Amino acid sequence: MTEHSLWRFSRALHRAINDRDFRDIEALIDEDVEWALYGPIDMFPFFGARQGRDAVLDVIRQLADNFHVRRFDRESIMLGVDSAASMLRYSLTALDSNKPISLRVAQFAQFKAGKLVSMRVLIDTFDLVEQALGRAIHLP
Amino acid sequence: MTVEKLNRQRVVHLLDAFARGDIETALSCCTDDVDFLTHAPIDVLPHMVPRHGKQELRELWQTIWSRYSEIRYKAPHILAEGEAVATYMHAYFRKRSNDRVVQFDMAVFYSFRGGLVAEIREIIDSYDLVQQVLEREIGPLITGARVD
Repeated sequence: MTEHSLWRFSRALHRAINDRDFRDIEALIDEDVEWALYGPIDMFPFFGARQGRDAVLDVIRQLADNFHVRRFDRESIMLGVDSAASMLRYSLTALDSNKPISLRVAQFAQFKAGKLVSMRVLIDTFDLVEQALGRAIHLP
Repeated sequence: MTVEKLNRQRVVHLLDAFARGDIETALSCCTDDVDFLTHAPIDVLPHMVPRHGKQELRELWQTIWSRYSEIRYKAPHILAEGEAVATYMHAYFRKRSNDRVVQFDMAVFYSFRGGLVAEIREIIDSYDLVQQVLEREIGPLITGARVD
């Protein structure tokens, strides 16, 4: 039984973010990949939609520049033949401030011939912004 | 039919019922002790607190329908495995107050027990959702600039 593409991609992604080793992740991303990581792009420029491997690698480099993954737990996971959906809890460190950040993340990935062709990620972004600011946002 | 296909159909049935405002049919897809959790700022969206049991979920869904006159979903990704289903959805909620449409993406993870939904977990791009609900940018509030 071969390993699901998600596991190879996940290991390579964390190696890229924590060790700045981008070789494996580059080989696992399709040239025409579609990528969307939704959130306020004025605060976090790596958010937004991207098309193509180079653009996605640039996002991953920006993530590596800004965060260290201390721990992640998959709270829920579903694997299809060439797809995967998971809900994860990430414990990160913001590198500029050394602040801990805790996030719930939903990932929907699609693979083709072992390479990532689509990734959609949703985050509780209001909570992320408050953690990054270090204070609550007071709304009218 | 596999349990995955059945559960996928059950989720679509629940979503269709909710989207046409048939809350009781949507609730009939859930266990009596259904557990609902979303991640959103409850000072802005106070109805989005955790809900336990059908009555609390009924109250949540009634509150949503009291505020929105039309609810539509598109679910481009639905994955099912065993007793779990994950959906990635584009949601469109039309406000009763001014007819504006709140449009957001959401991930919803369902767990089944005995053919019924026992657990619902949602993740939403909550920053964008709050801006659309309030109809104002949050950025100026963060930076302290005057908000028009």
